Amino acid sequence: MSEKIYALLLRIYPTRFRETYGDAALQLFRDRLRDERGFIPRLRLWLDLIGDLAMSVPREYIKAPQALAAAPVAQTPGEILSFRVLDGEPPRPEAFFFASLLSLAAVGAFAIAIGHAGDYKPFRAFVAPSRHSPHLSPTAPSHPSPSSLDDGDEEAIGSVSQEATAAPPMPDEAVHQTKTQDLTKPVTIVATSGAQIDPVERRYVIDAAALNLKQHYFDPKLAQNMADSLLAHAKNGDDEAVKTGAGFAALLTAQMRDASHDLHLEVVYSRDILPAQPSMTQSPEHLARYRRAMEQSNCTFEKVEILPHNIGYLKLNSFPDPAICRPTATAAMASLNHADAIIIDLRDNGGGYQGGVSMIAAYLFDRPVYLYDPRQAQTEQSWTHSPIPRNKLADKPAYVLTSGSTVSAAEDFSYNLKMMHRATFIGETTRGSAHAGVFHRIDDHFGMAIPEVKVVNPYEAADWEGKGIEPDVKVKAEDALATAQKLAETKLRKK
Amino acid sequence: MPKRRLDPLPSAAFQILLSLAEEDLHGYGIMRQVAEQTGDRMRLGPGTLYSSIQSLLEEKFIEEVDTREDANLANDRRRYYRLTSAGRKLARNEAERLADLLRVARAKKILRGDYV
Repeated sequence: MSEKIYALLLRIYPTRFRETYGDAALQLFRDRLRDERGFIPRLRLWLDLIGDLAMSVPREYIKAPQALAAAPVAQTPGEILSFRVLDGEPPRPEAFFFASLLSLAAVGAFAIAIGHAGDYKPFRAFVAPSRHSPHLSPTAPSHPSPSSLDDGDEEAIGSVSQEATAAPPMPDEAVHQTKTQDLTKPVTIVATSGAQIDPVERRYVIDAAALNLKQHYFDPKLAQNMADSLLAHAKNGDDEAVKTGAGFAALLTAQMRDASHDLHLEVVYSRDILPAQPSMTQSPEHLARYRRAMEQSNCTFEKVEILPHNIGYLKLNSFPDPAICRPTATAAMASLNHADAIIIDLRDNGGGYQGGVSMIAAYLFDRPVYLYDPRQAQTEQSWTHSPIPRNKLADKPAYVLTSGSTVSAAEDFSYNLKMMHRATFIGETTRGSAHAGVFHRIDDHFGMAIPEVKVVNPYEAADWEGKGIEPDVKVKAEDALATAQKLAETKLRKK
Repeated sequence: MPKRRLDPLPSAAFQILLSLAEEDLHGYGIMRQVAEQTGDRMRLGPGTLYSSIQSLLEEKFIEEVDTREDANLANDRRRYYRLTSAGRKLARNEAERLADLLRVARAKKILRGDYV
C-alpha cells in the first residue's frame, strides 16, 4: 500500500528524472520501509519523504529551464538564427491534484509532528535547553601562563548552573575539544542526561581530591586539614543530597575553602569529557594556533585611536604573549604617546599572559614597579621595564574601563593599577577569577585547581578571587567609555 | 556563462561526496552513511538524493561503477557509485573552505575559548 502511494507521488517528478531514477527511488523507499518499523519511525519516514518532495520537485522543474537557457544559440550557415529547444514538459493536470493532496498531507503531518515533538529528534533539539558545557575558562598549567581569552562565558555558566560561579581553570585543549564536539553534533544530546553522579564516582572524586591536595597544595598542614575535612564530610553523609555533578563540585569547593580560606582552590565539573592530563608545556600546535589567531586579530588590539580633546583610547581584548606581540604593542603605544590622557578599555578583555600585563603596564610608570600575580612567586617578569625610552604616558591621567567580563590577567592588570592608585576605574565590577591554581584531572568529568606556590600579596590578604575589582565610578559597561571621556575632559580642562 | 549547478556546493552534495570517500556505495547505502556521519540529522530522501547524484554524475564528480547485489539487502541488483579524483578534490576544497570559515569565526570570537 505505502509503496503504491509513493509510486504515485513519484509521478510528480519530471519524466526525465522519473525514467532515470524512478526505480532506484522506489527501491530506496522499499529499503527504508523494511528497515524502519514502528509508528514513530514510519511517521518520520513519511515526514522525510514529504519534505524531500517539497524540496526536490521544484528543483527538478527548475533544472529544465536552466538547461534551456544554457543551450547555445546555434547559427546555421544560412544566417538564420535557430534555437535548440528542450522539451520543458509542463506539469500534467493530475500533478496539480497530487500537489494539493500533498499540501494537505504536509499541513496535517506538521500538526501531528508538533504533537509528537517529544519523540522526534529534530524538534527535540528546539525544545531542549541549550547544551553548553558548564563553560570553563582555561588556564595553561605552567607559567608564563595565558588565561582565558574567552570573555563571554558568564552567560553560559548562568544558563547551565547556578553553582558554577567563578570560571575555573582548565586545560585549553578541553575547551577546544568541547567546541569541536559542539560543532559536529549539537543536536542529539539532551541537557539533563549525564549530569547525575553516583555514589561510586562521588567516593572516587573525594578520595582523589584529598590525595591531590596532599600531594600538590603548597601548605602540607593545611592540605592535611582539608583532606580530613573532605573525608569527614563524606563519612557524615553530607554529600549525599547533591545529585548533579556541578552541584557536587561546588560543594567540595566550599568544603575545601571552609577549611583553608583559600579561594584559589576549586573542584570543577565538566559535562564533556576532560582530555587526558595535559603536558606541562604547551604543544607546538597550540602555539601555532595562538600565533595565527594573534596575527589575524592584530594581537587583540581592537582599537587604537585619539579621541577628541587629545585623549588616547586603547581597546585591548587580551594581554597577548610579548614574544609574539611586542612589535604590535610598541606600535600601538607609540601612536598614543602624545595623548594628554589615556583610556584603556578592558571591558572585553578575557585575560592572557602575565608578560603582556607587564608589557602594557610599563608605559604607565616612570620607574620599575612590582606587579603582584597570584599565580606565581616573584620572577623577573614581575617588574615592569619602566621607564620606556621616549614614553610620555607615565604621568598622564589614566582611565581603565571594566565590565563583568573583564577576567583573569585583565583583573591582575586592574588590581595592581588600582592598588597603586595609578588609574581611575570606570564601569562594572570585574568577574573575580584569578586562575591561580594548577589544573589536575581527577576523572572524565572532574578536575581541580590547586595553587602550588604560596604568593604573598603585598596589598591585602585576599585578592580579587570570588569578588572581582570594584570600579571607582560605577556605571553600566556600555556607558563606561562616555563617562571616562567626560571625566578626562573635565580633568584636562582644569589643568 | 551558464551557472554551474554545484557552485556553491549544496550541503547534500557535499555529504554524498564525503559518504563515498571510503567505499563505493549504492543509493540506500549513501543515505545511511550520510545519516550516520551527520548523527541522523540529515536523512536524504530519494528525490534529493538522486537529484544530487544526477548533478554530481553530470559534472563527473562521481561515476557509476557497476550494478550488483548487496549481500545484506534483498536480492535486487543495485547501481553503485564511486568518487572520482575530481570529486575528491572538490570535497577537499569544500572542507578547506569550511575550515577557513571556522578560523574567521574564531578570530571574530564567535567561537570563543580556542586557546589559553
